[in-house]
Amino acid sequence: MASKLYTDDVSLVVVLLDVNPFFWGGALKKTTTTTNSPSVLSFSNFLNHVLPFLNSILLLNQLNQVVVIACGANTCGYIYDSSETKTSEAGVGGSGRMPDLCERVLGSLEEFVVNDQRTGWGADPTAANAASGMLSGSLSLALCYIQRVLRGGLLHPQPRILCVQGSPDGPEQYVAVMNSIFSAQRSMVPIDSCVIGVQHSAFLQQASYITGGVYLKPQQLDGLFQYLSMVFATDLHSRNFIQLPKPVGVDFRASCFCHKKTIDMGYVCSVCLSIFCKQHKKCSTCGSEFNQPHLVPISTSEQK
Amino acid sequence: MAGQMVINKRVKYRPSVKEAGIPGVLLMTEDKFTFTPNDPRSLARLEVDFRSIKGHMVSKDGSKDALLNLKYDIEGKSRGYIFEFDNFPDRNACRDFVGKILGKIQAMGSSGQNAQTVSAKSAAPVRGEQLSTKEMERRMKLLREDSELQKLHKQLVMSNVLTEAEFWSTRKDLLEADAQRTSKQRSGFKSAMLADVRPLTDGRSNKVTFSLTPEIIHQIFSEKPAVHQAFLSSVPSRMTEKDFWTKYCRAEYLRKTRNRMAAEAEAAEDEELAVFLKHDDILANEIRRKVRRVDPSLDMAADLGDDYMHLPDHGILRDGNKETSDLENEIPVRTFAHDINRHAAVVLEGRALDVELGDTRTVAEELARSKQAELATETSDENIDRERLERVYRMTEIDDLHDPQKLPFAPLCIKDPREYFDSQQANALKALRDTGSGTKPINLSAEEAYNFVMDQISEVLSSGLSDPVVQPETALKVLNGLSQQLSSTKYHFGKNPQESIFDGLPRKDKDELLHHWSSIQELLRHFWSSYPITTAYLYNKVLRLKDAMTDIYHKLQKLKDSAQSDFRHQISLLVQPMLQALDAAFAHYDMEQLKNSNKSRNTPNGFVQQA
Amino acid sequence: MPQVRILAKNFMDMVAALPATKLDKLYENPFICEAVLRSLPPLAKKYALQLLFIDSPISAKTMEGWVLADGISKHRVAIDRLLQLRVFLEEIDRKKESTYKLNPKFQGNIQKYLVYGGSLPRQPMPSNVTVRLPTLEDLETYVLEQWEVATAAINQGFLLQLISSSQVEKLTSFSASMMKFFQRGLLSARENEAPKLTENGFQFLLMDTNAQLWYIIREYISTAEDRGVEQMDLISFLLELSFHTTGEAYNLNTLTDIQRSVIKDLANLGLVKLQQGRKESWFIPTKLATNLSVSLSDSSARKQGFVVVETNFRMYSYSTSKLHCEILRLFSRIEYQLPNLIVGAITKESLYSAFENGINSDQIISFLQENAHPRVAERIPAVPENVTDQIRLWENDRNRVEMTLAHVYEDFPSKEVFEATCDFARDMGGLLWEDTDKKRLVVRGEYHQDMKDFLRRQK
Repeated sequence: MASKLYTDDVSLVVVLLDVNPFFWGGALKKTTTTTNSPSVLSFSNFLNHVLPFLNSILLLNQLNQVVVIACGANTCGYIYDSSETKTSEAGVGGSGRMPDLCERVLGSLEEFVVNDQRTGWGADPTAANAASGMLSGSLSLALCYIQRVLRGGLLHPQPRILCVQGSPDGPEQYVAVMNSIFSAQRSMVPIDSCVIGVQHSAFLQQASYITGGVYLKPQQLDGLFQYLSMVFATDLHSRNFIQLPKPVGVDFRASCFCHKKTIDMGYVCSVCLSIFCKQHKKCSTCGSEFNQPHLVPISTSEQK
Repeated sequence: MAGQMVINKRVKYRPSVKEAGIPGVLLMTEDKFTFTPNDPRSLARLEVDFRSIKGHMVSKDGSKDALLNLKYDIEGKSRGYIFEFDNFPDRNACRDFVGKILGKIQAMGSSGQNAQTVSAKSAAPVRGEQLSTKEMERRMKLLREDSELQKLHKQLVMSNVLTEAEFWSTRKDLLEADAQRTSKQRSGFKSAMLADVRPLTDGRSNKVTFSLTPEIIHQIFSEKPAVHQAFLSSVPSRMTEKDFWTKYCRAEYLRKTRNRMAAEAEAAEDEELAVFLKHDDILANEIRRKVRRVDPSLDMAADLGDDYMHLPDHGILRDGNKETSDLENEIPVRTFAHDINRHAAVVLEGRALDVELGDTRTVAEELARSKQAELATETSDENIDRERLERVYRMTEIDDLHDPQKLPFAPLCIKDPREYFDSQQANALKALRDTGSGTKPINLSAEEAYNFVMDQISEVLSSGLSDPVVQPETALKVLNGLSQQLSSTKYHFGKNPQESIFDGLPRKDKDELLHHWSSIQELLRHFWSSYPITTAYLYNKVLRLKDAMTDIYHKLQKLKDSAQSDFRHQISLLVQPMLQALDAAFAHYDMEQLKNSNKSRNTPNGFVQQA
Repeated sequence: MPQVRILAKNFMDMVAALPATKLDKLYENPFICEAVLRSLPPLAKKYALQLLFIDSPISAKTMEGWVLADGISKHRVAIDRLLQLRVFLEEIDRKKESTYKLNPKFQGNIQKYLVYGGSLPRQPMPSNVTVRLPTLEDLETYVLEQWEVATAAINQGFLLQLISSSQVEKLTSFSASMMKFFQRGLLSARENEAPKLTENGFQFLLMDTNAQLWYIIREYISTAEDRGVEQMDLISFLLELSFHTTGEAYNLNTLTDIQRSVIKDLANLGLVKLQQGRKESWFIPTKLATNLSVSLSDSSARKQGFVVVETNFRMYSYSTSKLHCEILRLFSRIEYQLPNLIVGAITKESLYSAFENGINSDQIISFLQENAHPRVAERIPAVPENVTDQIRLWENDRNRVEMTLAHVYEDFPSKEVFEATCDFARDMGGLLWEDTDKKRLVVRGEYHQDMKDFLRRQK
């Protein structure tokens, strides 16, 4: 993959925060059962690590820009944009108790959660219960924002996306997430992923692999800030000189379109490239009829 | 055996050159020849293996006797079996046959290592295939040139895992590529202008000599179709060949000397001669046809500026004086430019004949035939005209006066986009519940969850961020952990992971792995292509392949286990895909086996019973 | 304490040159910590951040473990810089390995910044007091004006006749002694002679604004003690200033006396704008001031250029500034001037005069590249190659003749003596030229004594 040559360290970091209440609620239940396990993080602790990290990015270069996008269970939205707050409300100043940024983020976060809850009322509560976060939606938001910056002028900061996610992958978002990943790849925006959930995220593994970002699943969640500052604070210019952690393996398996199962061997529609786990008479996506009586499954092991 | 080459000829066997021959029958097969005398009592019965023959000699075509001498060594002395044939064609057939066989035997001997392979193979019954010598040689050559292939061949064919035919059947392309490389180049037309015959004068008498060789004649025929036709029509019915060429030369002479008056006079007297001097109609037709085929959008119109002939210091000098063109004349003058153009056209057409240049008559006929064939392949004039019109129409089309051209396309129609972008949620959730154990057991109502998150946010808001953000001990632990993780991966995975893994291995392991990899590929190729199993033969083949694969599987395992500790990880990384591929094959085999055993219970006449 | 004066390339080099105790004292001010952190090379920033919450020293080896082969040199630079500025403190542990640790004061300040947020140095004045605050655009033009006048003032000897008289009058606002400091090194003022720009002066003109600013600020600081101002106070005040918000008004009363005297000078440079209300007076920091710490970092100057150079050596500058015009005139022939456009040509003659003034080709080329118009800046190279090559060639032309002091020796009595002399000179490495027929040779001047001795011996 071609990579841009960055000559300075001015960065635009779009951070996707996981605000899925079901994930964090689950984490809460765990903390009550297994006390003080380092692998579990409460939402307030999480914020305690992430907010100073955002602050530190702004500290490193005054041209740096941070955008925070929250992805909840039902919605996702912009929470904070450092370029906006700088100009509009510069007069207020810090209270001295907490960085300006944190107050702003927390304030809009509250609004966001309320709104997210209200949107979720209509939906089936049991279905929503296990739902994954709106990763695809927030990725799209981030990419849109970055596109606007990229087209804004010549002297734009170097954009990158950081996903701090804990919710499990939603296989039903497979196509949308992959589309986002490829468009990030096209605009040469690396997607970094910091997975704070229990399992690895195949989506984010692929996202980071394809876009040239870093994928990391911290072992010690109470040291989250340290992970963030050591790995994810590295600007794109410095990444040419610094070794960052690489995942041992990447789960490249796709989800089939019919049952959204993760499969390693399947059938592919020759017209629209939809993937199916079973042989069909007709492609459910584009409606093409498969005339041939038997298809040979594509197999990953035998390449001829 | 069908297809086996056998030669059976009536000959006389001469025990020595001077002795009279014993009449009998000579029978030659692939590996031996036998001589059976007509007189059953004669002791001169022979049965000789070709491998003992060192060489063969023959008497010249047209000499007294048609002899074939097959040489062999006895106690260091060279001796020969001499056969006398009734006629030369018989002898030549035998000569060619012997030549082929001896060539084959020699090729086997020369390829050293392979000699055993092939001789062993040829000793073994060759399953229904008979190879031509050429094919054989090609295979030997490929093996000699490609040591990898030779290794593979040795391993798979020598151990009878694959038959020779099976091995080569997947490499037809290699063989063919090789065959093509050896095909001979065909010689085209000479570019020298031979047809432009020059008279030679000896200076003393008034005699002028033209010398024509068959090659020159061939060129004259192809460059001057009129002469060619005249030759076909008048020789030998109306005049002898010699007369014909004399006339031709005379016409040429007249043209060269520019004695126009004399030429006209002679043409009036002799109509045959006139043919040579007149415009070549066939040529003109041909040119017209060619002109018609030129892209009509090309502006080929000549204008005054193109012709520099009448300007001083312009023009072409031929034989020392300048050519002028005056068209009013009845006998048109062929200019040098005409000649050179025509010659160039013929050379470029490259119409080479397969007949040997010897007999003028055959050359002429052959040329006529090839021309006819050419004409036949050309599309008829009508077709060309129509094409031309269409082309002109296309070329002169004015884009903006037309409707926008609509290219035919098949629209991709997604019946229901929801099917593409969303999905059957229920299934997905079910799958999730099966795999995702992390969040499952917690039953959390939405309200509870949201309240919890809100609480947490307000908690942070009220109490501020914790100071320090990270405990120094934890931070140090994280830093050390990450550093360790990095240093463990840094050297193994450079910028180009696959490369560096492999390059870091010792040479021996590297070679071994490569070799295993290629043989596994070969075996798997055969294995998978054998399915579905329809014949007992395929069944046996798969059985053989499976055994061989099992063998390699064990070898790989051993390699993996015996690797040095520092390379073990890399080797197992490399070996893993191979093992997986083999496992897939085994699994398929077992499944098929199971299926068939079920089936054969139902249908007792399954192929398994046949095997 | 030995005062080692390193030739400061930029402001931070100067800070780095401060003695350790002074540096440590500087770090008590959170703004300085912040400014220093921002001034670091990207890698160094990352290192500082990753050790932020770690108390124990980290071995150098661990740090190196992160570096790729390509980055070794960058890594060294980063670590050197951190050590110079005493952000990292080096310790040798028991195993004789060097370890690094963050300067505790620095660490504490940055930690506090992350958790509690940075407070502003002082509160801006409420808007009901400051009625006529200039808009950001106004401020921008003010900066340009002020800065160019200041620059022009420094080079007044050269630019005086070119700048209209109205602007010259403004120059009086600078104290005469200050002016002298600024001009030191840039102008050569001999008595009874019009001051002339020195080589440094010409080079100064070609620098970008930030570099010029730092040059002047540096001069200003280095002469601060003469005016009875502590260097450190000045440095911390300047850095503090860069954390004020552009365009906001700050009350002058919040400043110390020293600072108040300093701020007048800064206003002359265009760093701040002073305004007087009915009762109180205040200062408004301009972009120049807030960018002070930006220009500290290695990041390339992010500003819009204005020059387009074509392959036919013509140059179009979209600029209204007289200063630009004068700068361009240094090395090109200005052909005509339109309200917003200066058209010129780079000619051999114009370049020769530039070279004579001590400007070299690299400076001219980098000036053209750095100030390339955004339309051409996208292209690589921004300045056509044939032009840059030609500029370099013309410079080489001037260096065609190499001058060497030498002596001619002739009238040798015999060929033998001549040849022996030649050999002798050649052995010394001083022979420049010889003519065997006329028995003449030229030898480097420094060998004259040896030659004389040798020739005497020959006799």
